[in-house]
Amino acid sequence: MSNYLFYILSFLSIFSALMVVLSRKPVHSVLYLIFCFFTIAGHYILLNAQFLAAVHIIVYAGAIMVLFLFVIMLLNLNAETEPHKPLIIKGASVVTGGMLLVVLIATFKSAAMSVSSPEFNSDLGMVESLGKVLYDQYMLPFEVSALLFLSAMVGATMIGKKEI
Amino acid sequence: MNTLIAIAGIGIVAMIADILRIRKIIFPVAMAGLAIAAFTAVSDWNTNTRYFNDMMFFDNYAAAFSLLIVVIAIIWFVMAVPDLKTGNHYSDKSALVAFSLAGSVVMVSFSNLAMLFLGIEILSVSLYVLAASNKNNLLSNEAGFKYFIMGAFATGIFLFGVALIYGACGTFNLQEINAFVATNKSDLSGQMYTGVLLMIIGLSFKIAAAPFHFWAPDVYEGSPTTITAFMSTIVKVAAFGALYRLMAGCFSQINEWWTTVFIILSVVSMLVGNIMATRQSSFKRLLAFSSISHAGYMLLPLLTLSDLTGTSLLLYGAAYAFASIGIFSLVSVMSENDDESIDSLNGFAKSHPIKAILFSVLLLSLAGIPPLAGFMGKYYAFYAALKSGNTSIVLIAIISSLIGVYYYLQVIIAMYKPTGHTSASFRFTIYQNIVLWTCFLITLILGIFPQLIIGWL
Repeated sequence: MSNYLFYILSFLSIFSALMVVLSRKPVHSVLYLIFCFFTIAGHYILLNAQFLAAVHIIVYAGAIMVLFLFVIMLLNLNAETEPHKPLIIKGASVVTGGMLLVVLIATFKSAAMSVSSPEFNSDLGMVESLGKVLYDQYMLPFEVSALLFLSAMVGATMIGKKEI
Repeated sequence: MNTLIAIAGIGIVAMIADILRIRKIIFPVAMAGLAIAAFTAVSDWNTNTRYFNDMMFFDNYAAAFSLLIVVIAIIWFVMAVPDLKTGNHYSDKSALVAFSLAGSVVMVSFSNLAMLFLGIEILSVSLYVLAASNKNNLLSNEAGFKYFIMGAFATGIFLFGVALIYGACGTFNLQEINAFVATNKSDLSGQMYTGVLLMIIGLSFKIAAAPFHFWAPDVYEGSPTTITAFMSTIVKVAAFGALYRLMAGCFSQINEWWTTVFIILSVVSMLVGNIMATRQSSFKRLLAFSSISHAGYMLLPLLTLSDLTGTSLLLYGAAYAFASIGIFSLVSVMSENDDESIDSLNGFAKSHPIKAILFSVLLLSLAGIPPLAGFMGKYYAFYAALKSGNTSIVLIAIISSLIGVYYYLQVIIAMYKPTGHTSASFRFTIYQNIVLWTCFLITLILGIFPQLIIGWL
């Protein structure tokens, strides 16, 4: 059962991710991206990470993508105003992207997960066990990421402030 | 660790100084905080403490790199303070600079890949904004935007590499990864190699090594000059500290494999940087390409991991950074005249004879002329590469540094040319004079006594 679910979700997420890049209208791209985020949240649930799935939907699909939509509508982007790249750049990006794809396929074909899967524990992905790791082992990164957000906030207000 | 706390403290004070209307204290607080940070970095010497479940590890390299970063930051602050004060957002900019310094300290003292990622991000996010901080200038906007987009891509690639490595060995800890690589050396999965490769790509973006350098000229040219000085010195030293720590601490067992990658990066950076620099008419753009070529030289010691690797990186970083900051104090005076072309320097030697000599010395140090610091840096870098048997690479490095001499001399010749048109006036403030003399003295002293750095580690 979960095997089939995995394949369906994978197909949908790859398909929607491709459509983000391929669709001509920016609004369509954003909608496909939202769909992609939902399928990835489905993957998280399959991996027994319920909290992560919920956060993923709330933060990405909820907050960030709404912001994206706002920006696209405010800037009034559509297919006509999209700049067209010269052919040589398109060719170069296809070649380099294809090379990365080959390397990654080769990598995952030979991938061996050396980490033995732990015993199934349905509480693993809940907030409690996550909090224990976050506030114990990863205390310092958690605190230091406050600096990251602080600098992002100072930066955003600085860019947004009116010049006097 | 205390270094990090002191620097983060400066950032927080600077951030709220605007609200409390005590903008005057920012500069003294920054100086005092950086002095405390330097002192704590020195006091961490030989302690080898691991902090918070081995998230950070202050060994001697971390202490030395932190100290170097803090000292460069002190000189940078003195150079930049007139410029920061006159523009808007003095407190915001100082806070962002302090935060990105905190990020760079994390980058040179991490012991866990999660910390490395956070360090890189704190450093970069502040810099994206600082690059765009001259809001009325279109070029500055472009620089910030370009840096942001490219930097986000580089971060994504880096993070992908971290994820692959975690998938292969199940840990973020440097020591544990090193142990895993050592025990499974013969049958490492392809995941590991791809992960290392992607991480190298992400970091080479930060050090602006070719072929990941395309952002550098535009960003360096468009950003406000003081920020360019910050990017080309502190960011480069921090990123090299991180690269060395990662490669030596984590993947030293498979170094034959990633040496090839570094050889390509190094050769391409040296050639592209030096050849492109000869064709520039803007001084700032020339310095951007020269910083790409210096990234190439700084990759040379990493080709073999020995006792000399870290020290020669440190010496090269110090020589490059101090000479660069001194030269950027000239560029910041030039940008006040809105003319950063090399030709606008004509007649400089006539109006400022002593300063012309000092700048010539700093430029010659970058070019690698003995007995200046740049020469000793290059000497140890080339020596380290020779010891690994890469004679042909060293030959290429010598040829490209000869090309380097050509364009640095072009700038010196421009300074000594008689004025063509109405000579632009160069107004140096007392701060820039202090920076210039300090950088000059450090360059001379490190050139004559490289043991000051080489002998310690």
